Parts: sequence; C-alpha cells; structure tokens
Amino acid sequence: MYDRKTIRRRRGVLAVFVVASVALITVWFGEPVTGTLHVLQRGAQEVLSPIQSGASRALKPLRDAIGWTGDTLSAKGDNDRLRAEVGRLRRELATTQTARRDVEQLSGFAEIARADGFPQGTAPVTARVIARSPTVWWSSVQVNKGSSDGLEVDQPVITGDGLAGKVTAVTGGTATVTLITDERSSVSAQVMPAGADGIVRPKVGDPDDLLLDFVEKGGRIKSGQTVVTSGFTASPGLESLFPRGIPVGRVKKVDRSELDIYQTVHIDPFAELKRMDFVQVLTAARPGARAEVPSQ
Amino acid sequence: MTLSHQAALRVGPLVLAAVLLQVSVVAQVTILGGRANLIPVVVAALALLGGSVAGATAGFAAGLLLDLAMGMSLGGSSLALTGVGYGVGRFGELRDVSHGLLPIAVAAAATAGYDVAYGAITFMLDIGASISALVLRDMLMAILLNAALALPLFALVRRIVRPVVAAGRLEPRRRGRTRESGPLGLRGLDVSGR
Repeated sequence: MYDRKTIRRRRGVLAVFVVASVALITVWFGEPVTGTLHVLQRGAQEVLSPIQSGASRALKPLRDAIGWTGDTLSAKGDNDRLRAEVGRLRRELATTQTARRDVEQLSGFAEIARADGFPQGTAPVTARVIARSPTVWWSSVQVNKGSSDGLEVDQPVITGDGLAGKVTAVTGGTATVTLITDERSSVSAQVMPAGADGIVRPKVGDPDDLLLDFVEKGGRIKSGQTVVTSGFTASPGLESLFPRGIPVGRVKKVDRSELDIYQTVHIDPFAELKRMDFVQVLTAARPGARAEVPSQ
Repeated sequence: MTLSHQAALRVGPLVLAAVLLQVSVVAQVTILGGRANLIPVVVAALALLGGSVAGATAGFAAGLLLDLAMGMSLGGSSLALTGVGYGVGRFGELRDVSHGLLPIAVAAAATAGYDVAYGAITFMLDIGASISALVLRDMLMAILLNAALALPLFALVRRIVRPVVAAGRLEPRRRGRTRESGPLGLRGLDVSGR
C-alpha cells in the first residue's frame, strides 16, 4: 500500500518528535529556572498572556451561563410570556450570581486578613485567575498579575478561605501558581491547638482531600481541628516559604496504623481550588512577618 | 495532507486557537464535575484527516504550545499528544474513516490515550504523592464530554483544513464491485437445482 520511502518518512517524523519531546523533558528538568527553556517558556507566556486574559474575560459570561444552566436544567416555562420572563430573569440571575460570587470571594480576603494568627504585613496583591491547567491533576493556574505588580517566584498564594499554593513562574503581567494539590507540593503545617507538626501533601486527583504526613503519634488530633502553616525557621538560610498562620484546612479524619511511626491526618482544604476566580499573592510574606498565634 | 506552507497556515492557527481556548475558557467550565479538553480532539481530527505524519506534527506542536502557555514540564504534553496524533493518523490510514459516528469513538479514544499517556509520563518523572480514585472519574468525565463535542469539532476542523486535504480522504471508500460471472457462469453450464 505504501512504498518504503513513505514508511521511512513516517517513522522518521515520529522518531524526531519523540526524541525532541524526551530531550525537552530532560533539559527542562535538568536546567535551573534561569535556563534557556525556562526563559523561553516565560517569554511564550508573556506573549500569550494578553490573548489568554482577553479570551478569559470576554467569554466569562458564557462560562457563567454554562455553569448556571447546568444547575437549573429542571426549570420549565408554561407559556411564551413566562418563558420570556424566565429568560430575562435567568440573564439577570446569572449576572447577579456572578457579581455576588466575585464579591464573596473578594470579601473573603478581608475576613481572612482579620483572622487571629494570620500573618501581618504581607502586602497582598489581588489577582484574577485567567487560565487553568487542563490536566486532571489540578496542578496550576495562571493569574493576571506579574512581576510588574511585585510578584516573585515562591510567594505564597491564598484565596479568601485559605492557602492555595505558591508562585512558580512570573512574567511581566502574569504568574503561574502551582496549587497545593500539585503532586510536587509540600507545605509544613501545624494542627491547632494541638500543635502537632507535619507536612501537607496532596492526594492527586482529589482536591478535597489533603494529607498531613509525618505527624508523630503522640499528638492528640481530632476531627474539626484547624490546620495552619507552621512557617518554620530552622536556621538563617533555611526557612519555610509560607509564613506562620495561613489557614490550610480542617481535620477530616486521622489514620493511625499500629505499624507506622507516624499518623496520617486527612484535611479538607478551606480553599475551593476548583472554582476560585480570585487569589491573593502575599508579596511580602516572610516568616519574620508572621503574627503571634494565640495559644488555645 | 502534505506538510506544505498552505497546510501550516491553516493548521497552525487552528492548533494555537484550540490551546488558547482550552486554557482560557474550556478548562474553567466544570460540567458534572468534569472538564472537556479540546486539544486531543482537535489533534485527533487533524490526524484522521491528514494522516500519521500530520497527526504527529499537530500533536507535538499542540503539546509544546500547551506546556509553554501553562508553565508545565516542557515536553510532557508534546510526547503524549505526538503519540495520540500518530496513532489516530495510522488508524485513519488503515481503516475506512468515512462513517458518520466515527469521530465520537476516535475523540473518546484520543482523550483516554492522552490522559493515560500524560499520567504515565508524570508518574515516571517526579510524582511522589498518593493518587485518589477520583482521577479516574475526572478522566471518564473528560472522555464523555469530549465524545459529546466530537461531531461539531470534527466538522469544524474538516471545514478549515478541507482545502489542504487530499480529496480521497474525505470521501467514503467504496467496496470493489463483485464481478459478474461471464457466459460460462452457472447458468451457462446449464446447472439446475432441479
């Protein structure tokens, strides 16, 4: 059916792309963040971000309408007048719900900043989510603020409810936020008021379940207790990226195995990572900026 | 589809638009707990119409753009989508692809292939966390949503790339006609059932 030349060409093209992909993976993982591919990636994001931002903003009503329609499929109209009425009310409702959701999320930032123990002097910068990673791993989002707004790599990111992740790449006008549900994420945290320390790790694919690992068995931990970032400072050169006191989630259950040295704590994260539209980047967050956490 | 300038001018913007639309809009719409992913469907449509070489090329380009745009590990999506594009292209070269409902099956298979391949690559690279079974639910929802979007998306891609696709690929393949027996057939031999 095909001559040898066609077959060779076909296989050659496949081999070239596979080798190129493997080479890209190898170099990308091997080089520092200042390497050529990382620079190229940031350049591409710089170029593409205005288009992404424009498309995201322009089609937001469509997204909201689709989401809203899914929730109200059961609504029925009886006649033409009522259908027209319902249509008008639907449009108004979608607009109102969108506005209310935005207000709720934004007011959440004010509330969380007033909460006891939340780190002070963090110079938060509010940003809108403009793109999300399409994989099922819920790993990263892109926001519409960048280095020109004071954002830098490794700065903590929160929603109005709690910790969301950290900045892993910035361009002039955008930043990539790697979420706490990313498989590479780990956050030092503490169960309050028990004070038990551990490392928050994701359960990949389930953004509603985080795991607090390496918690010593002695600590008395109960469902409903709050988990916050511990913001450790081991030595002048070694300190947590996250300041002490950012709410992470609430304890759901505790796995205590006779054989394990540590107990595993399941956490229900406060941040709604699947549906967040706004985030705040704590641009001046350093462990030194933390507030006192009241002992309870 | 040969990799000509004309083809690149049509396919390039299509792939770019698919990636931007996916990350800016579609990925932010959750339907029944899942999200559609246009990228493997568009790559599969291009591969089915253009063949394995065009499919692999479109897959590599789409993956590279996706990794660049989202700050993901460079090369991971390219590798997965190259495989999807090549596989669907070879399927199209070996089978009759004119059946009206074939895009649904191809889109579902391409989405499943992409999710599984990308997951495997992520595992091999650096994953150290535990995996929830909900990943499978999300994958299944993505497959179902993509299957639902397959017919309009394939039709759109077909419309855009029609001028650069060989005409024969868009037409149903006809079975060879059975040759009628000649004068020396059974009747000619005067064979009777009676």
